[in-house]
Amino acid sequence: MENIQMLLKQGAVGKPCEAIVKKGDKVKRGQLIATPTGLGANVHSSVSGEVVDVTEDRIIIKPAAKQPKTFEKIKKGSNLEMIKEAGIIGQGGAGFPTYIKIYNGKDDKPVLDHGYILVNASECEPGLAHNIAQIDEDPAALLRGIHYLMEIAGADKGIIAIKKKHRETIEKLDALLKDDAAIERHLLPDIYPMGEERAVVRECLGIELEPDKLPSAANAVVINSETVYSCVKAIEDQKPLIDKNITVRGMIKGGSDAHVFMDVPVGRSVEALINEAGGFDERGYGEIIMGGSFTGKACELGDPITKATGAILVTREFRDLHGAKVGILVCACGGNLERMQDLVKKYNGTEACVCYCKQAQEMPNGTRKCERPGNCPGQVKNNLDFKKAGCEYIIIGNCSDCSNTVMASGPKMGLKVIHMTDLAMMAVGHPLYRTLRVSKHVSQDLNVVDNVEDNETVE
Amino acid sequence: MSITAETAKQHANDPAVLCCRAEAGTELTPANFEDPAIFPDLVDSGLLTLDGALTIGQVLNGSKLTKTVDSLTPVTADIVDKYDEAAGGAEEAPAAEAPAEAAVAAPAAVAAPVAGGVINLHIGEGKDINIQIPAGIGGGAVAAPVAGAAAPAAAGAAAPAAAEEGEAVVVREMTRKHYKIDKVVLGDETKIEGTTLYIRKAAATEGAEAQKLVHSLELDVITPDNYHVYSETVMDIQPIATKEGDDELGEGVTRVLDGVVMMVTGITEEGVQVGEFGSSEGYIDENMMWGRPGAVDKGEIMIRAHAVIDNKKNMERPGPIAIHTAVDHVTQEIRNAMKKDLTDDQVVDTQTMKQVRRPGKKKIVIVKEIMGQGAMHDNFLFPTEPVGVLGAKPNVDLGNVPVAANPLEVMDGCIHALTCIGPASKEMSRHYWREPLVYEAIHDDDVDLVGVIFVGSPQANTDKFYVSRRLGQMVESMNVDGAFVTTEGFGNNHVDFTSHIEQIGKRGVPVVGFSFCAVQGALVTGNKYCDAMVDNNKSMSGIENEVLACNTLCHEDAIRGLAMLKAKMAGESIKAPERQYTHSVKENNVELIEKAYGTKMELVDNEQALPMSEKRKAKYD
Repeated sequence: MENIQMLLKQGAVGKPCEAIVKKGDKVKRGQLIATPTGLGANVHSSVSGEVVDVTEDRIIIKPAAKQPKTFEKIKKGSNLEMIKEAGIIGQGGAGFPTYIKIYNGKDDKPVLDHGYILVNASECEPGLAHNIAQIDEDPAALLRGIHYLMEIAGADKGIIAIKKKHRETIEKLDALLKDDAAIERHLLPDIYPMGEERAVVRECLGIELEPDKLPSAANAVVINSETVYSCVKAIEDQKPLIDKNITVRGMIKGGSDAHVFMDVPVGRSVEALINEAGGFDERGYGEIIMGGSFTGKACELGDPITKATGAILVTREFRDLHGAKVGILVCACGGNLERMQDLVKKYNGTEACVCYCKQAQEMPNGTRKCERPGNCPGQVKNNLDFKKAGCEYIIIGNCSDCSNTVMASGPKMGLKVIHMTDLAMMAVGHPLYRTLRVSKHVSQDLNVVDNVEDNETVE
Repeated sequence: MSITAETAKQHANDPAVLCCRAEAGTELTPANFEDPAIFPDLVDSGLLTLDGALTIGQVLNGSKLTKTVDSLTPVTADIVDKYDEAAGGAEEAPAAEAPAEAAVAAPAAVAAPVAGGVINLHIGEGKDINIQIPAGIGGGAVAAPVAGAAAPAAAGAAAPAAAEEGEAVVVREMTRKHYKIDKVVLGDETKIEGTTLYIRKAAATEGAEAQKLVHSLELDVITPDNYHVYSETVMDIQPIATKEGDDELGEGVTRVLDGVVMMVTGITEEGVQVGEFGSSEGYIDENMMWGRPGAVDKGEIMIRAHAVIDNKKNMERPGPIAIHTAVDHVTQEIRNAMKKDLTDDQVVDTQTMKQVRRPGKKKIVIVKEIMGQGAMHDNFLFPTEPVGVLGAKPNVDLGNVPVAANPLEVMDGCIHALTCIGPASKEMSRHYWREPLVYEAIHDDDVDLVGVIFVGSPQANTDKFYVSRRLGQMVESMNVDGAFVTTEGFGNNHVDFTSHIEQIGKRGVPVVGFSFCAVQGALVTGNKYCDAMVDNNKSMSGIENEVLACNTLCHEDAIRGLAMLKAKMAGESIKAPERQYTHSVKENNVELIEKAYGTKMELVDNEQALPMSEKRKAKYD
């Protein structure tokens, strides 16, 4: 196995941890190697071996030739203490420390007032498969985890939000749920972004939260399904968060199907996982995205995966736009301006105009959040501006609904539309985000066939 | 973009078009609708047809979609379960047909002023600005063209049954004595003998020497027998006039020379024109729009004072100030000769100008925005002599705050204009001396002109809004029924121009604006009070064509503006213009005025009446 790199900052939020091991130290799989200095969570070694370097941002460990299946157990304590000790952070992408989400520091007053644990099993980013695979493998553990979390957070009810297309998995859940009055499931349509935190709240509870509000404002905690499993392992097996489920997919030898790797040691390299999936397709590739195609970032082969990494997507090669004028439409669902500008460069386009979706509200920290995720505010005004700026192409990162609106006027105006996920979607065999032909509403009855008409694949 | 409930209300009578895909069963709310402000662009580009569309107001009452439709679909009767009947039955006819319709309506409604005009301004948030061009005018009572001779009947009918109509009150009078000059000679002494004006050449040299920045000032005389003379850009055209005895500006007696004007031109040592946006340099007969209020009349003699100043000083305030001060040294010497040499038996014409107030009539005020950004964008206010320099204060130094004047002060040269934005739209000193709007308003028996306010246009936006708020407060305190706001140039000054209109408009005072806009000078900003505009454009292509004074406010504009303001004060709505600038709005409204009152409006010529210059041929027409 290649050297493991444990980043001191595992999630997108919080402060870097401080290493408590030094170069030359022998470490065991599961051993605590870094502790938080502010907002953050413990970091444990995902392998047994020797620390070969401790840099500013990471601990590098040379794994021993033979790796144990077991791990150093965390010490026993209350369920909450064990979740904290295990260093669990949200595995949906942002990596917010889980114990902070479910505990407000007051033993007598939980975070929720007879509220809801909403389990995000939407597997929102297109092309990912590891969340549903995990639920499919052991649905019972998910329910146990929800009960643990309900108890800690003060919730009376648990709701599993899952896309209706996963019929077999849903049937397995339904079989268990009929004996569990406290938990139900909510079916979601197969459109983006159903997994946005506030979209989950809206879909499950019918409450539309302002962009600056947390789910707690709706008396709810939203938690990714994989994170729930990590909590179960911490509580039942005393296991720290050292392994991660990953979808590797795209321009990989052997086809576009998803390679789902369960329990991959955190800190393994992107290159190693691509190789294990079969190596690069000989047709070449454009970029490697760590995370989903909407919200992930371009990465290098040597980069390590973290506790928050869900996928490695290898995209098709970039088309050369030969310097054509490109307009950038920035929204909150897709890449930020920096990411979009990077893509324009990679396409060899010339940035000519930047517009923002009307609903992409800027937050105090500079990020953007959508006012009404998945419900378009109209885009024709932006298209007019792109046209006026002389754009030949526009690149968008919009959700299903907004992309549909962009398409309603863009091409008629002579704007060629590129979606930031196009090259990834082609690589994974998913329809491109263009027009919307499915309903945004699905019947909660699994047997009712909704108004579903597949998007056409455009190449 | 989806709209708010407030916007939906404003656009209740506009077509309802979905901004986004909406599924069957959706109950329509403002969030479902595209902003009607951008429809014209969409219709133009073929993205939208509004055929059969219901209005927003008709489908906000719980209407539900009966089928799933995509964005930019007009809401028609066949895709909603129910809709309200169109408000008011006889819906307003399409705006484009307004002029024709109004032409019929106007006579029937007796003198009730009708519609016309311009709107279509859209302000988004900061950068999101739609630019639309005002044009046009309203029909209605035609002001008496000259001295209130022709119109009393129509005017009387037009006036709303005023509670108590007192007699017109003459507040003050002023006399202009005209003296004919038909020959100008440069020589060793400044004097007037008969109809010949002699000017001491050395006066120019002295004027230049007193100004550090002026290298030279030279005089020459351009006579009507040869106007095909090359000239550097014209900075100003000034009447030559002086007060009699101790009379103050706007009172007593003013002596003025007929048949001759001062013309100020200037360049830097390197040969850069003292101008900013364009310059009128070239042959005078090809670049002078004869007969405009601010320009030279055909047949007049021009005394050209040409200054050369330090390099780079053309765009700094001291440069133009030095030129004007140097030239005034010469003019003052002429004024002194006028005082000394002219006698009453030489008077060829006497005009008595009266400031009249008309109690009981609609009280109106004229706000004239003058340039105050610095450099040549400056004006000397209230000199001792008509269009003089001594005794005046530059409006830039006054902080550009609003300053009140009476109509006679305006017509007596209280503004010495340094302003120099675009040759075609700038108001030169002579423009104020013959200001058509002040003239028409004071002779209009339907209105009671309370005064004229000058407000500078500062450079910085914060200053613009500062002066604008002061203006709004001043107008509020005047308790007027209506206001005009005029401006010269275009672009930067439109920011405060529209802000002035807003400040006055939001106090419930109807406002009519005057500006050159047309094609090139479209407003860069706007607000909901900018719904009545008169476009001063005369040029064929709707552009700043660098022909001196071509697109300045003329009598025909003043008449249109007065009709429009009366319409607005009477509560008439002003219809939106066509989206692209077109001459037809003005033409239709002029026709409307003529038909309704049986008068003929003589429209002025534009640059097409002049010999074609090489510059115009190359750059514009």
